Amino acid sequence: MKIAFTSTGNSWDSKIDPRFGRAEFIFIYDDETKNNDIVDNSGVSEHAHGAGPMTAQIVTEKKVDIIITGNGPGGNAARVIEAAGIKVFSGAAEMTVKEAYEAYKKGSLKQS
Amino acid sequence: MKEIVVISGKGGTGKTSVTASFAYLSSANTVLADCDVDASDMHLLLKPELISSEDFFSSDLAVIDYDKCAGCGRCFEVCRFKAVSFELDKFKISDNNCEGCGYCANVCPSSAITLVKQNDGNLYISDTRLGKKLFHAELGPGAENSGKLVAKVKNNAKKYARENNLNIVLVDGSPGVGCPVISSLSGANFVVLVTEPTTSGIHDLSRVIQLVKKFHIKMGCVINKTDINYKASDGIKKMLVAENIPLLAELPYSDNFTHAMIKEVTVAEYDKGIRSMLQDAWDKINNLI
Repeated sequence: MKIAFTSTGNSWDSKIDPRFGRAEFIFIYDDETKNNDIVDNSGVSEHAHGAGPMTAQIVTEKKVDIIITGNGPGGNAARVIEAAGIKVFSGAAEMTVKEAYEAYKKGSLKQS
Repeated sequence: MKEIVVISGKGGTGKTSVTASFAYLSSANTVLADCDVDASDMHLLLKPELISSEDFFSSDLAVIDYDKCAGCGRCFEVCRFKAVSFELDKFKISDNNCEGCGYCANVCPSSAITLVKQNDGNLYISDTRLGKKLFHAELGPGAENSGKLVAKVKNNAKKYARENNLNIVLVDGSPGVGCPVISSLSGANFVVLVTEPTTSGIHDLSRVIQLVKKFHIKMGCVINKTDINYKASDGIKKMLVAENIPLLAELPYSDNFTHAMIKEVTVAEYDKGIRSMLQDAWDKINNLI
């Protein structure tokens, strides 16, 4: 299973980026292969509009199963993610990627 | 660090008067950000002294390289904004009409059209008479606010707050429910909804509540001009109860909002009664975050 975290950096100790569309990095962890795939998402912020759907496109192409983020995606991005069958868990804003992963495993994050 | 964003849905509800009053009532550990960039006016009440200014590049303009242009007119055919015209002997792109969509550049068989980033305005950092820093922006004629610009203003404010150990970022959000509003909400810890008891005020309030709920952010509501229509105010209060949103303040209609603006002060400084109601609201917000 592939889990995507919106993060402010490229390590397990990086803080979760509460934003979805304009998140700085997408930190993807595959819990079967134990591999990380880190996408620098900063280019999306250079777009004036439509950041949410652009990031949604990226996670969809990466075939992730779950997204863990802070506030959760907005309406347009949510439609893309829902259509792709990806589950979203929010409320990880103040955590590091590692803490967010542990919180998810404990079941303490809210599913949107 | 907590980020408090004030939005309204409808324009003209008194959002900026309320935000500027909160700016006045807030502790010294506060940084201010004006993300209502289309019609930014918080600076009028806070008398900013500019510390720094930075160019802001965002929109694209299609530019024709006439050394490559074969004059086929495909750009003219596809442009939906009537930005391409044929003048004398060549096709020209009007920088007023061009939306920067890039359709022309995409179809040009000679690859003669490139998109060039435009300087849309400036990002500012200022000192205010309240002793708090204000992060704001100004757009050039015809330029529009965007999620990108709002994100820049907010990120600058948050970075400053983090570096200087300041714990509150107070954001004047933009009206509506579109891209700039979504950008001002993302990453926020609390949303203050400022509304008024009018049909459009209530309609836009309900839309903005749905939007904030998507982001799972706590919110509270200020009803302004509550006495202009008690029946509608009651309707708003019922909506708030149903949505489980606390009522932070109910302000009367008052000419002092306008008088304060004319004097270039916040309404909280001008009117003691309104000050105490807004102080109460501000205390409630600080207990909720």
